Amino acid sequence: MDIKGNLIGMMAIIRYSTKKILFSKKVIMTILIAIFIAGVMGYTATQDVDRLRDGTNLIDYLILFFFMPIIAMIYAGSIIRDEIEDKSITQILTSPLDRTFAYIGYYLSLVISISIVMVIIVTVGFIAFFGQMGIDGEALGIYLSVCVLAVIGSIVYTSLFQFISLPLKRPLYFGLFYAFIWEGFVGSLGGKIQEVAIKHYIRSIGSGWISHGDIANYDASSVGYSFLVILWITVIFLLVGVLYFRVKEFP
Amino acid sequence: MSQPIISARNLSKWYGQVIGLNYFNLDIMPGITGIVGPNGAGKTTFFKLITGMIKANVGELFVLGEDPWMNTPLHTKLGLCPDYESLPGEMTGREFLKLVGGLHTMTGEPLNKRISEVSKIVGMTDALGRKIEGYSKGMRQRIKIAGSLLHDPELLLLDEPLSGTDPLARKELMDLIKSLHREHGHNIIVSSHVLFEVERLTKNVALIYKGRAVATGHISEIRGLIDKHPHNIIIEGDHLNELAKALLDFDYIVSVGFHQEKKGIIVQVSKPDEFFNAAPGLITDIGCEISRMYSLDDNLEAVFRYLVGG
Repeated sequence: MDIKGNLIGMMAIIRYSTKKILFSKKVIMTILIAIFIAGVMGYTATQDVDRLRDGTNLIDYLILFFFMPIIAMIYAGSIIRDEIEDKSITQILTSPLDRTFAYIGYYLSLVISISIVMVIIVTVGFIAFFGQMGIDGEALGIYLSVCVLAVIGSIVYTSLFQFISLPLKRPLYFGLFYAFIWEGFVGSLGGKIQEVAIKHYIRSIGSGWISHGDIANYDASSVGYSFLVILWITVIFLLVGVLYFRVKEFP
Repeated sequence: MSQPIISARNLSKWYGQVIGLNYFNLDIMPGITGIVGPNGAGKTTFFKLITGMIKANVGELFVLGEDPWMNTPLHTKLGLCPDYESLPGEMTGREFLKLVGGLHTMTGEPLNKRISEVSKIVGMTDALGRKIEGYSKGMRQRIKIAGSLLHDPELLLLDEPLSGTDPLARKELMDLIKSLHREHGHNIIVSSHVLFEVERLTKNVALIYKGRAVATGHISEIRGLIDKHPHNIIIEGDHLNELAKALLDFDYIVSVGFHQEKKGIIVQVSKPDEFFNAAPGLITDIGCEISRMYSLDDNLEAVFRYLVGG
């Protein structure tokens, strides 16, 4: 099939999968997380806190660096695996669409969906906290920066978790290990060791954009270098995923 | 003579310790061909090899003259109606067909026109606006067949299309499958585990058992092979002694015995068709009351055991 035909097929996957992801049963999990965030940040706003510093820290620790990899893992680790399990992936595999385009179609639909979910959660937390404490230009700046960081996080984490869902029948276990042990623990250690975690590079980019809270004083790599590392990780996992998907058998 | 549309030579596929196909040899000619075998015989494995979803460990397979593994362009000539149930229930029939059409590079007005055509062929025009979750089993099969027809493939693969449907839907689907070949010119391979259903669709049959093609050809030849072996028939009812005595006079009756567990008689016959033709008259003449009569060998497992000499 030619490039145009493959792009038409890829667009069909993106339209279908994005809708499927956003309106799946997992939306309940998104709602529960949003309620939890609203509760925590809304309650904190009633206490004696520094508006910009503590508001930034809450969004930083709670949303970006705790829920971000977990949400990406739950969505990206399951879409292809679920379709393999219920055999509905047959429809894609028996179409004349090149498997490279099919895999990228899944990836893009995941990035769009996870970005939307993350921006909704960030927005709920932002309104719950800053809605009570006051929204001004600085607060909006923090909000927009965090939204962009959430999209960057969606791009990189999706490439990782989508790939691991191919060889592993239970990608959730690996995902939990990765999210809590690798990103959560190893990524929080001081010094060079934290550079092995993706979140280090997302925070490094954030530290160049946000001038409040702990992230502003983070022991960061440069923004340009962090972008390059994130791009490299994304491309590597996407490439390996494509190569694996092309030769994978679906018994 | 025309060339085979599918040709398998010493084809083997195994999943770890489990054998899917075992030195499988088969040529399928144009027309409608039935692939018949009990569950686990290797029918779905064969379809997956044809569609390039899995790769053979050993042997050669040619589909329309091409190797199907990693050959996505071949899919423009193949249409698969899979056996899985997980259709997107939240979608309408039209949305589902638009998705399938998109995967086959169809868009816009040509796609809408083709959706109208295939929905008419499968008799789903009125149901296209309804959500799939509200479809009956027969309607789900029809919408899957419509999806496999959208790109007007040369070869249609129907994996257990009659499975789970009620008798009326089954008859309608059989008529549809026959018309797809007769009126629309598609070559069709249809799998089933029920021999008599496939007999009503086509005379060309391949019997698969434990990963091997144990018999192929015209159904009459295969019937002949099956009928060479005695069938066991259970007759349940009252006053069966007279019937048992009368049955022994027929030359196609091999033996008659009493079946304690079923409270009836077990009759071994060498020509089941002749027996079933003669039985109603004989029962009426003798005047015994029959509550149930059935063949123990109607299930394919028994038939295949005969064919492989088990």
